[in-house]
Amino acid sequence: MIIYLRSGRKLHDLLKPDVDQYTRHVEMQEGATLVEILGELGIPLVMVAFAFVDGKVRKLDYAPTDGDVITIQSPVAGG
Amino acid sequence: MKIKVAKENCTGCKLCMQICAIQHYGEINPKKAAIHIDAEYPAPGVYTPKLCVQCGKCMEACPVDAISLVGDAYIIDPEICTDCGICVEVCPFDVMFVHADAPTPIMCDLCMKCTEVCNTGALTAVE
Amino acid sequence: MNGFGGTILRINMETGEIKRTPTPEKFAREWMGARGFVAKTVYDEVPRDADPLGPENILIMAPGVLTGTFAPAGSKIGFGCISPATNGHADSNMGGHLGAEMKYAGYDMVVFERISPEPVYLYIDDDTIELRSAGDYWGMGSLDLEKRMKDDLGEDFQIATIGPAGENGVVYSCITHDFGRQAGRCGVGAVMGSKKLKAIAIRGTKSIPVHDLPTLTKSTYDIIQRTKTHPLMEPWQKYGTALFVGWSNDHGCFPSRNFQTTYHEGWEGISGEKLAEEILVTHKACFGCWINCGKYSRARIPGKPDIYVEGPEYETIALCGGSCGMTNIHDVAYANYLCDNLGLDTMSGGNTIGFAMECYEKGIITKDDLEGHELRWGNIDDFENVLRMIADRRGIGEVLSHGTKGAAERLGRGTLAFAHQAKGMEFSGYDTRWYSAQLLSYCTSDIGAHHNRSWAITADIEIGQDTPEGKAAVVIYLQHIRPLFDTWCCCRLFWGEVDVTAEEHVDTIGYLTGWDVTFEECMKISEKIWNLTRSHYIERNGGPGRQFDVAPARQLEEKVPSGPAEGQRVGVENFEYMLDDYYYNRGWDKNGNPTREVLEILGLPHVADNLEKAGLLGEPFEDGVPKVRGQRLKPKAM
Repeated sequence: MIIYLRSGRKLHDLLKPDVDQYTRHVEMQEGATLVEILGELGIPLVMVAFAFVDGKVRKLDYAPTDGDVITIQSPVAGG
Repeated sequence: MKIKVAKENCTGCKLCMQICAIQHYGEINPKKAAIHIDAEYPAPGVYTPKLCVQCGKCMEACPVDAISLVGDAYIIDPEICTDCGICVEVCPFDVMFVHADAPTPIMCDLCMKCTEVCNTGALTAVE
Repeated sequence: MNGFGGTILRINMETGEIKRTPTPEKFAREWMGARGFVAKTVYDEVPRDADPLGPENILIMAPGVLTGTFAPAGSKIGFGCISPATNGHADSNMGGHLGAEMKYAGYDMVVFERISPEPVYLYIDDDTIELRSAGDYWGMGSLDLEKRMKDDLGEDFQIATIGPAGENGVVYSCITHDFGRQAGRCGVGAVMGSKKLKAIAIRGTKSIPVHDLPTLTKSTYDIIQRTKTHPLMEPWQKYGTALFVGWSNDHGCFPSRNFQTTYHEGWEGISGEKLAEEILVTHKACFGCWINCGKYSRARIPGKPDIYVEGPEYETIALCGGSCGMTNIHDVAYANYLCDNLGLDTMSGGNTIGFAMECYEKGIITKDDLEGHELRWGNIDDFENVLRMIADRRGIGEVLSHGTKGAAERLGRGTLAFAHQAKGMEFSGYDTRWYSAQLLSYCTSDIGAHHNRSWAITADIEIGQDTPEGKAAVVIYLQHIRPLFDTWCCCRLFWGEVDVTAEEHVDTIGYLTGWDVTFEECMKISEKIWNLTRSHYIERNGGPGRQFDVAPARQLEEKVPSGPAEGQRVGVENFEYMLDDYYYNRGWDKNGNPTREVLEILGLPHVADNLEKAGLLGEPFEDGVPKVRGQRLKPKAM
């Protein structure tokens, strides 16, 4: 199945977008978690704060379903 | 084209006011915009973009026939307008704005620039 | 002058005299705005022995070059003075709409001098400037007063107010605007209160002159279109900074119970998601910003009035929430509201009450001190009681009104070890025991422990959390680039989050002003400001500088007892190593004193002279100071 990972900032170059400037398509095994997918893509987990799927924050143990559009967010915070 | 207002989406950022004044006066001055944002704070916490709904009451009231319908929008001809202020008084929605340095009242001409910069869906262009 | 309002105002609060002078272009170019204007003016004008709450201190209000223009989020305005919390240079900025309004009225800086005999507010309506009686307003809450003044003067005035805490001189009082935007840090609200200045009301209707409007317009328009589809836009719009509460807990940097530990049991109840689900009323933006990180909320707590508040954002959740042991988002929002209306910084306020709660837990503060109340972790009634005592400076509230350092000095009994502050200003909402670069950032900061001077948590992760090596140079770089946004006066979120580059902001300054300004020039200005405020701090407080760069003992010595960072601490040796490395990389001597060479490179020879006179000039480097001071982080993975 295919999912779409999107990001910017520091993750942009690691993600190597191929769909548009922010998005990369990824073929994956059903049931794999984001931890496993990011590992295969060579993206260090410490660089990813969390994922954002369909308007909801998800931890990296999230197992995507076919066609998911997933934003991965690198950490920055503060008031 | 018309501008659809979804006030529940407005965050009060005033980008619409900025681009409006830039587009029509070539100036950075949101007070010269044909759109204003009412803020009801602290309660209930609502922003309301206010702009012309193109009802035409101003054209009916104008004593010198300076206002006419061009396409979908009512437009003031600055050559004819005497800046008497009658249209501002009769406007049922208080969306004809005045500024000391503007030669005529300021009203929306449906240029749609505000809908292009709005990032929240508060202002969108519709047929 | 293109890009600016054109006029500087000086107001003698004692006599009521108001002076207008044109803003010199040299001054504007060399200092850019807000933080720069403050650093230069306060250094030049405030006597070194002036009491921060006395007549010789000045209060400055200044937007910057990008404020009020069609730049991305050009919303900021800075306030500055000598801080009653740190006795050093102070600047604190806020978003909202006040800065833009001030420039539309034609002003780039207002300097308030001396002390008014009666409570007043400043009224500016374009060219009309008046000090008006604020007798009726004195004593009112910040938010209550803003509403009252909007009713009295008109909705189109932008208002800034202080609350009772600012009137009473609580050293972490803030200035509030737009029902929830604050210049929160450094106690600028206390200095405003000391001048008997209760509020500022501004309406401006003029245009800001621009060098090249078509190019400026096209540039920002294109940035808007490009960032609208940026993947990180949606999470930021939806949750704001509170988005990161979960991440901070997962990474062991969230303060829980006065930084006793760094994973907060029950954080899910005060997360960004909880905020969005339970209390969010609307998203709220500052002037010219299309990220709208502001969350406007309504909290409902049985037995208390329903309240509206902007927030709580990350820092408030961390410090009023986690650090005070709260696990309910309604409680945090209510605490936020109380701080806002009483006029207290939610960061230092939450941090100080967390400190007091630990004192209560240890029996150092008792019910007798609290007018018969308790002060239990996570209890909103107890929080409210002590907060009101602080705002009124009643009983133990007087002790706590001096912040954690001042309170620890008064309470004794080893409390300084868990007072989370640097130079007298409280930590932001990040524990540093697994994040040594962040500790270095806090402790070397000119204004005290504020994350917006340098937020280095991700640098720690990327360089390595277990090493002190390579941290100092990156901290210096961050200390130059992050506060640069407070000098230009645009929000740093576009740079930090949605890939608008710092160079694009510099280009915008060029389109506005016509200056052939470069990023390197701006970074040099930022380094100049940093060296100036450092020197100012040392001059005021006596040296050597190193004696002020002190970390709380808990962060150095106590191991984190639980959570992902369990067992971590920075350690004295590592901290001293980082300080040595930091001073070297700044071109300062081992005592932390700036050297003549670096001050002269930055165009501050007179500052070197002043330090020399005081016997506080750094020893010269034998081989010259480093040519590049500060180093941009290149992530290993890239």
